Amino acid sequence: MAADPHKLKISKQINRPGILMSIARLPDSHRLFVGSSDGKIYDLDIMAEKPEPREFVGHESYVTGLVHLESQLVSAAYDRRLIWWDRESGKQVRTIEAHQRWIRQLITTPDQQQVITVADDMVCRIWDVKTGKLVRELRGHQEETPHHFPSMLYACAVSSDGKYLATGDRVGHVVVWDLATGKELTTLETPIMYTWDPKARIHSIGGIRSLAFSADSTRLAVGGTGKINNIDHLEALARVEVFDWQKQERTHEFKGNEHKGLVEHLVFHPENQWLLAAGGDHNGFIKFLDLEKKNVLKQAKAPMHVHEFTVNETYDTIYAAGHGKLVAWTLTD
Amino acid sequence: MTSKRHSSFCGSAEHSLDRRAFLGSGMQGSALLGAGAWGLNALRQPALAEVLKQKEKRVILLWLAGGASQLETWDPKPGRPTGGPYRAIQTSVPGVQISELMPKMAGRLKDTAIIRSLNTKDGSHGTGARLMHLGRRDEPNLKYPDLGAVLARELGRADSPVPDYVSFYTATEGRGNAVGQSGFLGARYAPMSLTTENKPLFLSRQENISIQDHQQRAQLQALFNERFARKRNLPAVASHQEAYARVRGLMASETLFDLEQESQKTRDRYGKTLFGQQALVARRLIEAGTPFVKVSRAWWDSHGQNFETHLELVTELDHVMSTLLDDLEERGLLENTLVLTLAEFGRTPTINGSLGRDHFGQAWSVSLSGCGIQGGSVYGKTDQDGQTVADGEVGAGEVFATIYQALGIDHQKDYHVGARPIPLTDPGIEPVSEVLA
Repeated sequence: MAADPHKLKISKQINRPGILMSIARLPDSHRLFVGSSDGKIYDLDIMAEKPEPREFVGHESYVTGLVHLESQLVSAAYDRRLIWWDRESGKQVRTIEAHQRWIRQLITTPDQQQVITVADDMVCRIWDVKTGKLVRELRGHQEETPHHFPSMLYACAVSSDGKYLATGDRVGHVVVWDLATGKELTTLETPIMYTWDPKARIHSIGGIRSLAFSADSTRLAVGGTGKINNIDHLEALARVEVFDWQKQERTHEFKGNEHKGLVEHLVFHPENQWLLAAGGDHNGFIKFLDLEKKNVLKQAKAPMHVHEFTVNETYDTIYAAGHGKLVAWTLTD
Repeated sequence: MTSKRHSSFCGSAEHSLDRRAFLGSGMQGSALLGAGAWGLNALRQPALAEVLKQKEKRVILLWLAGGASQLETWDPKPGRPTGGPYRAIQTSVPGVQISELMPKMAGRLKDTAIIRSLNTKDGSHGTGARLMHLGRRDEPNLKYPDLGAVLARELGRADSPVPDYVSFYTATEGRGNAVGQSGFLGARYAPMSLTTENKPLFLSRQENISIQDHQQRAQLQALFNERFARKRNLPAVASHQEAYARVRGLMASETLFDLEQESQKTRDRYGKTLFGQQALVARRLIEAGTPFVKVSRAWWDSHGQNFETHLELVTELDHVMSTLLDDLEERGLLENTLVLTLAEFGRTPTINGSLGRDHFGQAWSVSLSGCGIQGGSVYGKTDQDGQTVADGEVGAGEVFATIYQALGIDHQKDYHVGARPIPLTDPGIEPVSEVLA
């Protein structure tokens, strides 16, 4: 049955205490690992009649990154640590003090030989999965904003061919790297996403919160928020910009027309049928963007601010973690 | 929990303010009229502040407009659902922890007291800010003076050539809430409000009048005044002369607002942000005799992305406040200068869907540092999630009484509006003696 964004509907929703910041899925299953604000990781089958979560206890702050690797799970958190877990026993295999400040995102390379972290120490680090050794660190983002406040390095993405890595920060600065050599290939700017307010409130609220390469690696999508008048709230429309990054050319600007807040996560369809974005303000949203027609293919309110989602192998089910809830959407009848 | 520090207030006559004597001995009176002629550059040398440090009480209010989160500053709740992602760190005072966003203040808490049990019952920016400026609620037919006006009256001098009450509020949001009201004390105690520049506008001597002309005009005016007043012992004449003197004093004080007068090292020390620069001007002002300076840092109203906002703003507060306290201490001024952090309210322990915190007046924190304060003391307690005051509940009135008491001012002292006595704080209000030296 073909997946169709117009058939988007919630197939399961679970309320959970706390703020669910990260999610990973066991392949070919509905088994989810969810990172929470209580520092725990919860292992549960979202489609079970009465899901009974198993807890992985080890982090001391919000768990902001999870990746599933064969029999292991790797997690990252605001406690600056990376932890390798045995997936079935729940025991810690390895713990690394990975950064000096909060780890914002954790991803894996397509061959699953490396994991990559970005943190508020403004460093991107590449780690060997098997040994936990640091392979390389990449420094291309300023520690301070132009207005002399601490900056934050929120997002990273790796291309599906494993050649390119992108990192994005608080002030809207993107760096694209050659993953194998660590060489900086190019930079891009999305200044609107910074949201610096020089007059009324004298601080900022936004930043680049999500990045994704297209399947052919030629396009890079950047998610954040639009120009905000009142930065007390995430009141601007959620914003996505897409670049032909090798030409440093912005090819798409999705300013949004309905849903407010941050675009927290982005995923390209493998055949570029759509670009999926989710996030929110007090509320949440999910939207499918059509790059060819440069419009919104489908958008809907989410039951919560979505912090991260993952998509199944056939791209017809979306699993999302967010503020106090886990949700599964399907794209089929 | 407390570290005993030296008591700074004695209230004796010898310690009463005597800026005139200081100015008279430290500088030539005739030099008052020349820009920069106050010898203020010399005040950069800590040793030359000796006279001031012994005799003057000063206040710098760091007004955290919009409402800073107590959980990300003075009253962290690590590990609780309400605690947020920041850790608590140990301070230099055994047993006292504050947010990890304040490592510099954690290292120098010896001069700072924290009140963690403030319940102002008000989650409105407007009325909350008024309450925390006035120490009580307005009456329909009586306008109370705010803290700055009262302290300008209590700590300033009638013949002061420097402004008694200076208020910085550069951001536009919330500026209307940050009162600046002299109320029944009259316009004499209203603030000099700086909203667009870090220095007063229209204060400079006109370029077509030379310094010499300016001085000669002043001398001529003083001569006429003296002759005129010789045969007329009237309050109106004295008032007229005082007004002239104050205007000329303000003109001469222009250099106080000029950070070029400070070394690059000092300016760097305070940091490049507007808040840091204004805190340095505040130090210059109190060093020269201004009794009350409010530096407003807006805008903390973090309904969305509370933790990002506080990473920016608390990091800045920690740096600026700790630098200010260090600088005051090195100059021998801290024991006579009270540095406050106040706001209209705190923020909700409950974290909303935007990772924000909302308005919360039921259980929040303020800090008092320096003059008359038992450094390292912590008063009051909130429950484990910070939702309610668990011990030592106080309101705005108690905070104000504590401020007055720390400065050696009787908080029950009466002003009079007509025949009606108006005490500085409402009847029945007591200071928090546990945080007083």
